[in-house]
Amino acid sequence: MAFQLNGQTQDIPDGWADEPLLNTLREKFGLTGAKFGCGAGQCGACTVIVDGVAVRSCIMQTRDVGGAQVRTIEGLAQGTRLHPVQQAWLDLSVPQCGYCQAGQIMSAVALLDEVPNPDDLDIESAMEGNLCRCGTYARIRAAIARAAEAGQ
Amino acid sequence: MKRRGFMIGGGALFALIGGGAFVTSQVPPIPARPEPDATTAAGWIAHRDGRFTLTLPRAEIGQNIATGLKQIACTELDAGWDSVDVTFHDTTGAGVKATVGSESVMLFAEPLAQACAALRDALAAGRSSGEVAVSPRPVADLRALRKGGLIGASPELVQGLEIVTGQPLYAADIARPGMLFGRVLRALASVEVASHPRGWNAKAAEAVPGFVAIVPECGPPIGKAHGLGIVARTPGALNRIADALAVDWDIDGTPDRSDVMAAIDIDRRLTRGPLPHTALDGAPEAGAWDVDLRIDMPLAAHGPIGPRAAVAEWQNGALTVWAGTQDAFYVRDVLADTFGTDTVTVQTTRVGGAFGGRVIATAELEATALARATGTPVKVQWTRAQEYALGYHRPPASHRIRARLGQGRITDWDHGQVSSHIFFTAAVVPEWMQTATNTLIGDDGVARGMAAPYVLGRARASYDVTRLPVHTASWRGLGAGPNTLAIECAMDEAARVAGLDPLDFRLAHIRDPLLPDVLTRVAQIADWGAAPVPEPGIRKGRGIGCGIYKGTSYAAVVADVRVRADGRTRVDHLWCAHDCGLVVNPDQVRAQCEGNLAWSLGMILTDGLPLEDGFVTAQDFADAPLPRHSEVPDMVIDLIESPRPPQGAGETAIVAGPAAIANAIRAATGHRIRRLPLQPEVIAL
Repeated sequence: MAFQLNGQTQDIPDGWADEPLLNTLREKFGLTGAKFGCGAGQCGACTVIVDGVAVRSCIMQTRDVGGAQVRTIEGLAQGTRLHPVQQAWLDLSVPQCGYCQAGQIMSAVALLDEVPNPDDLDIESAMEGNLCRCGTYARIRAAIARAAEAGQ
Repeated sequence: MKRRGFMIGGGALFALIGGGAFVTSQVPPIPARPEPDATTAAGWIAHRDGRFTLTLPRAEIGQNIATGLKQIACTELDAGWDSVDVTFHDTTGAGVKATVGSESVMLFAEPLAQACAALRDALAAGRSSGEVAVSPRPVADLRALRKGGLIGASPELVQGLEIVTGQPLYAADIARPGMLFGRVLRALASVEVASHPRGWNAKAAEAVPGFVAIVPECGPPIGKAHGLGIVARTPGALNRIADALAVDWDIDGTPDRSDVMAAIDIDRRLTRGPLPHTALDGAPEAGAWDVDLRIDMPLAAHGPIGPRAAVAEWQNGALTVWAGTQDAFYVRDVLADTFGTDTVTVQTTRVGGAFGGRVIATAELEATALARATGTPVKVQWTRAQEYALGYHRPPASHRIRARLGQGRITDWDHGQVSSHIFFTAAVVPEWMQTATNTLIGDDGVARGMAAPYVLGRARASYDVTRLPVHTASWRGLGAGPNTLAIECAMDEAARVAGLDPLDFRLAHIRDPLLPDVLTRVAQIADWGAAPVPEPGIRKGRGIGCGIYKGTSYAAVVADVRVRADGRTRVDHLWCAHDCGLVVNPDQVRAQCEGNLAWSLGMILTDGLPLEDGFVTAQDFADAPLPRHSEVPDMVIDLIESPRPPQGAGETAIVAGPAAIANAIRAATGHRIRRLPLQPEVIAL
């Protein structure tokens, strides 16, 4: 069974089908942007986009992405040109420790793909499941607004 | 700023320049873990082939110190931002202190600037290789310790690009050839109760796909909890192997079933006599009190999103460990001692949240033991549940504060506290040694911030510490956050008794010359006199709090809250004025304030760990919630322009934020918080 990983066709590797998608991405494909935070889908650090939807890759089996399109933070930039969300994150110096930020960014990208001009409530409901202990929430909201503006 | 040894000694110092690789052995031999001075700073900066390398002498734990110290280095070297590469230190170079206590700019900026100035002058004089003798110069001659250029600017974050593009930066991101995945299982019991694996179903475990090994020799116990190691080809197999093993644990003796909060009950303790340690040693007079406040605070987790992780690799008897730690040299020494080898290198990585929770050796020991047993590199990353059960936490604390007033001023003050250890943590200090420290010196971590920054007449602040079945130690700000919360709540009640505005009441009691500045500034930016706009069905309130961290950094906060009929509370807005001396990077000082305010909110509304039989039973974020997006409001941060040298910023606003929120809830509801975190039903209508 194959799937698309950041636009490239990949086979689900032998011995990894029953592994959470997060582990396969990190340890088999070397895509370590998505992070392990809780293993229970509660913190959002492992967020990737599967068929356009932000999902918690720590509670999704690798076999379940067969035939699907998986997008990770490593696939956002086009060459050296950052995705508007990445650029906004940099412009506003959002990260402190940075560990949750790949998940935050992927949730924000999925939101803006669906709602290019999100209001406060859209942002809150899309981002509520992404925890940040450093307390970067206000900057994340500002960065999403900035990216939305840049996308106009 | 403190004068450091090199200024007194004035001896020759060395920065490194040369055409080859950065050779750390050129650094003069120095004692382990010295205070930062120009002698050690010489090893942090090197020049070769037209580029500079700054070897970061601090752990990068989210304070973005890599950016701040690079600003110092570029300024003093007169070098372009892109000509200085930043690398993270390992333990082959000169020792550095643990990254704790908000000291990184305060203690490291000047030595780094001295070394960079010397290197700059040597290069300008045409030197291109060898060691450079340095004569430390007056601070006034250092470009990096005054505002201008990059000092006071906010350049792009070091590693910012790597973070937003998902590059490997953390210990858990390290991959080594042939690397396996490990975990050390331990009993579901207090780490203060001896426990051993007694039996396990090896056959069932071996049948799990991905199984590699069961490792009984899996490193030292955590507390008294001995483990059983497992190794697998994939991280997910570890869960299945653990289930299949169904380890039978021999738990020695009965668990401590006493209620932890009862064990530290301040009123119970006071019936047994005075508290042994003092932060203020006045003698309040006996009699009736105008304010008599009890506040209890629970055990609290650090809650970083990244569980601790380490990768260990043995090669020809030499050990390398990649670790997300606040104290690589300590970890190295523990590894060397435990495994009987001197050839240990600990390579630091960015840390996915630390907050005081990453200063001892844990996952590093486990990974090393498992790597030795299997002969392959092993990665260990703790589960979320292990973080709660096996890590140490902010100690619970029980406070009693009493105040008496006369003519609108406090005349007598008596603040008592019982808590558990922070500096002399049970996680590394045996009980007999704690008995000695309890008798002789107390615990300055518990006492931090207990000496209120006010003129309080006959004022006493005293405390006791007691060993608990759960391990406690450093947490952001140590005792300062909880202690200042208690003090500032009592000040608020005292202002009510006096019938005075809480801002005016505080100002009237302050002797410190700088604390009034942050208070009046935050009052200005928050328009303190204005009442919140009423809204039907919502109780609104505004509160203020202030404090001094470690005697050198200042913060004052105003909070607006809204409380619904069902008691659910939302912080609407936070304003903060902050004075940490010279600000190298205002944007990142603001970021630290924002983080501290989010933590302040957590201290009042969310932080708390469930316990049973001396064991933290929290498994996940549902059991130990953190503040979420919708709960953390926008904030206004104002930094005071100060002529003082740089001070700490990482743990300052946490001395002011919690009380501002608690006092706002008091203003909105009439309820004085006595037990944290606040339960909505307590203030439901």
